[in-house]
Amino acid sequence: MKLFRRLALFLALAAVTAGVAFSQVSTNNFANSGGNLRELTLQQLSEIEIYTVSKEPEQVRKTPAAIFVITQEDIRRSGATSIPEILRLAPGVEVSRIDGGHWSVGIRGLQGQFSRAVLVMVDGRSVYTPLFAGVYWDVQDTSLDDIERIEVIRGPGATIWGANAFQGVVNIITRNSKDTHGTLATLSAGGTDRFTSGVRIGGGNGSSLDYRAYGKAFGRGPQYHQNNQQFDDWKMGQFGFRTDWSPSGKTTTTLQGDIYRGTVGEEVDIAAFTPPSETTVYGDDKVSGGNLRGLWKRDLASAGGIQVQGYFDRTSRIAPHYKEIRNTFDLDFLHHFKVPGSQSISWGLGARWSPGRFVPLVPTLDFTPNALTSSLYSGFAQDEIGIVPERLSLILGAKLEHNDYTGLEVQPSARLVWTPDSRQTFWAAVTKAVRTPSRLDRDLDLKAFLIATPLIYLQVAGNPNFASERLTGYEAGYRNLISPRLHVDVSAFFNHYNDLASMSSGVISSQTVPVPYTEFSIHYVNGVMGDTNGYEIAPVWKALDWLEFQGSYSHLQMNLRNQPGYSDASTIASLEGSSAHHRGMIQTHIKLPANLEYDQTLRYVSALPAQKVAAYETADARLSWRASESLQFSVVGQNLLQSQHVEFGHNTQQSVGIARTAYAKMTWTK
Amino acid sequence: MDKITQVKSGVSYKRTRSHRLGILLLLSAVWFLHVATVLMAEQANEFQVKAAYLYNFGKFVEWPAGVPASQGDSFVVCVLGTDPFGSTLDSTFSNERIKGKNVLARRISKPADATSCRILFISSSESPRLKEILAAVDKAGVLTVSDIPQFSRVGGMIQFVVDGSKVRFEINRARAEGAGLTVSSELLKVASVVRVNP
Repeated sequence: MKLFRRLALFLALAAVTAGVAFSQVSTNNFANSGGNLRELTLQQLSEIEIYTVSKEPEQVRKTPAAIFVITQEDIRRSGATSIPEILRLAPGVEVSRIDGGHWSVGIRGLQGQFSRAVLVMVDGRSVYTPLFAGVYWDVQDTSLDDIERIEVIRGPGATIWGANAFQGVVNIITRNSKDTHGTLATLSAGGTDRFTSGVRIGGGNGSSLDYRAYGKAFGRGPQYHQNNQQFDDWKMGQFGFRTDWSPSGKTTTTLQGDIYRGTVGEEVDIAAFTPPSETTVYGDDKVSGGNLRGLWKRDLASAGGIQVQGYFDRTSRIAPHYKEIRNTFDLDFLHHFKVPGSQSISWGLGARWSPGRFVPLVPTLDFTPNALTSSLYSGFAQDEIGIVPERLSLILGAKLEHNDYTGLEVQPSARLVWTPDSRQTFWAAVTKAVRTPSRLDRDLDLKAFLIATPLIYLQVAGNPNFASERLTGYEAGYRNLISPRLHVDVSAFFNHYNDLASMSSGVISSQTVPVPYTEFSIHYVNGVMGDTNGYEIAPVWKALDWLEFQGSYSHLQMNLRNQPGYSDASTIASLEGSSAHHRGMIQTHIKLPANLEYDQTLRYVSALPAQKVAAYETADARLSWRASESLQFSVVGQNLLQSQHVEFGHNTQQSVGIARTAYAKMTWTK
Repeated sequence: MDKITQVKSGVSYKRTRSHRLGILLLLSAVWFLHVATVLMAEQANEFQVKAAYLYNFGKFVEWPAGVPASQGDSFVVCVLGTDPFGSTLDSTFSNERIKGKNVLARRISKPADATSCRILFISSSESPRLKEILAAVDKAGVLTVSDIPQFSRVGGMIQFVVDGSKVRFEINRARAEGAGLTVSSELLKVASVVRVNP
């Protein structure tokens, strides 16, 4: 019954929006002028409404992929203070905060703290770690005011981005330093977000040489803990710079870098061979790192170009139970050009070396060997063929990638895009992608305490034969700028998986070192197959000049099963029960008189049974006041609808409640 | 264990049915939107409006008789850099006359070619070279128009500004008059900003 009420609501909303769209068309001057703008007076011209409701540039609207762009304006108006919180704005993206400094982020299913499925890039630098094939979200930060946009691509993006762009890609793009001249200082204070301060100074001549430098620091308090173990406080400090130099109009060179250091509160259960057999440790991860990236780009004649990018990235993490230090070196080359007969070709080469060293700090967690260099060599080619110029294109591409574990992986894709007019885009795609093994799948040796008498430990082990997880994705989408004020983006997908990671059945053995005990050992296998399907709807409606609504609804179904010869029921239950079937969001942006702005976001996420998380709705709200050209004040409330709510299970028994909180912020620009 | 399996399969049955309904609804909504869009008259896009403005600027600005652009047989509107208009400019100007002359759109790549133009639209692709371009056409009696941010502050004459969902423009009257052009009061009335300091 509930479902039918929801359907009725949806239909009613659709009818209202369609009605509004039509009434707007009939009052449009342009429609009355019979399509001839030359006959309008200057005054009438200045009142014509044009299609700008879609904040996305023309190219993005014609992209044959489920792409969503989060703009600087969206970031500012969301009041979010960290990158994973910003990602909640994109449809199809599952963001669950586990505790103060940890998130589970997934796209179209398969989410988890060690989510192995989403590739994250910051200005072309991959921040995906080969240790566990996921992202340490606690160290991914920058000056949020200097982010130009975040592109979120749902669905496999392997042809361009490479292996591990399995479920989707998050591409964080910072502003060119010619757009960040002047001084920007921010200071905020609040409940959980105790303080954040940041300064950015930028300058240059606005055309050939520009630069900026920033520094930021924050201290964040714990979330809600039923057992009063306030372990998850989080402190970080970060500095960075960027320079953009174009010696001629055709060549641009970018050099940028960041360094950071901080502590992130952590709660872990650590097993030991001497009593007590298991201890819950409340400690800190001491994190530090830095990166340096250079990009050289040159426009060639006939709308082509080449670019060369190189970066170095160092990460260091000292957790209560392990230490890992990693240096990554990466070099990429890209060339794109047009050939007569409306074809546009791009191809590229890339190499990456990533030596990492794991240092065990307890006898029950190890990776063997401790030191290992992951290397990756890749090449890709893509051809965009205009079948009907400006209207219908076919894009064929493939990526060849060689990794140390599984050798050569081929990831092809075919995409078709049809733009019947300037306002509508239909697209469809078929893609093959892989998630290559990480050190976790291959080299892990973890022991967890099970039973005291008889003394039994569980061993979770890597598997030297673990292969790549495989996906064939079928997608389609539709975008329509229905009226100057209403834009709708719809996409649907069907993903078929093979060789997803699961656990083997257990093997019991007697061990004598360092103490006599019984070991129940399981290891990673490629044992699960199945499919997922779903759709996302994302409308934007600018009802009035001062009132805008943005919404999204994401639906997901997962049907997984064991491959022949495997029988791991718990992995299937965990995968299917850790991603929400329904996610919805409605944002309201209101421009008020007297330089006031009000924004609110309502979010709904359905239950995650495997994480023991009930469905929840919550809301964020923001009120800001521009006191002068250079001074702005804002107040932001987060998770307002309840004193605390759980979003994801914790790796220990006790889930952490994400607390209602508020902060006040001052922004000064000059 | 059996009970759990039964409950689970019941739930998944219901889900599948609601799911199919959802997809059906989605498909019909897409179809409805597509048909509705096809039936509706094509509406204006940003550059159609800008092209219509360029045509109007030609009518509401007077050029000095002595400049090279005034001597030609046609009324030439030039685009410098990557042309954002596509075919819109040509279709807007086709069979139109301004000041008794045929209106013609021309694409140029060097600022030096701009002296034969009445109106010069500077594409945003040229923003790194803006200073040189403006210096090259400074006294040539060419009406400079662009959508590059800050254009009317840094020496350009008319700057398009997209304000919400409407295209407006700012005029630097001092610059236009410095180049010998006369801007009519109708144009000044509609401008969102009129600058009187060069």
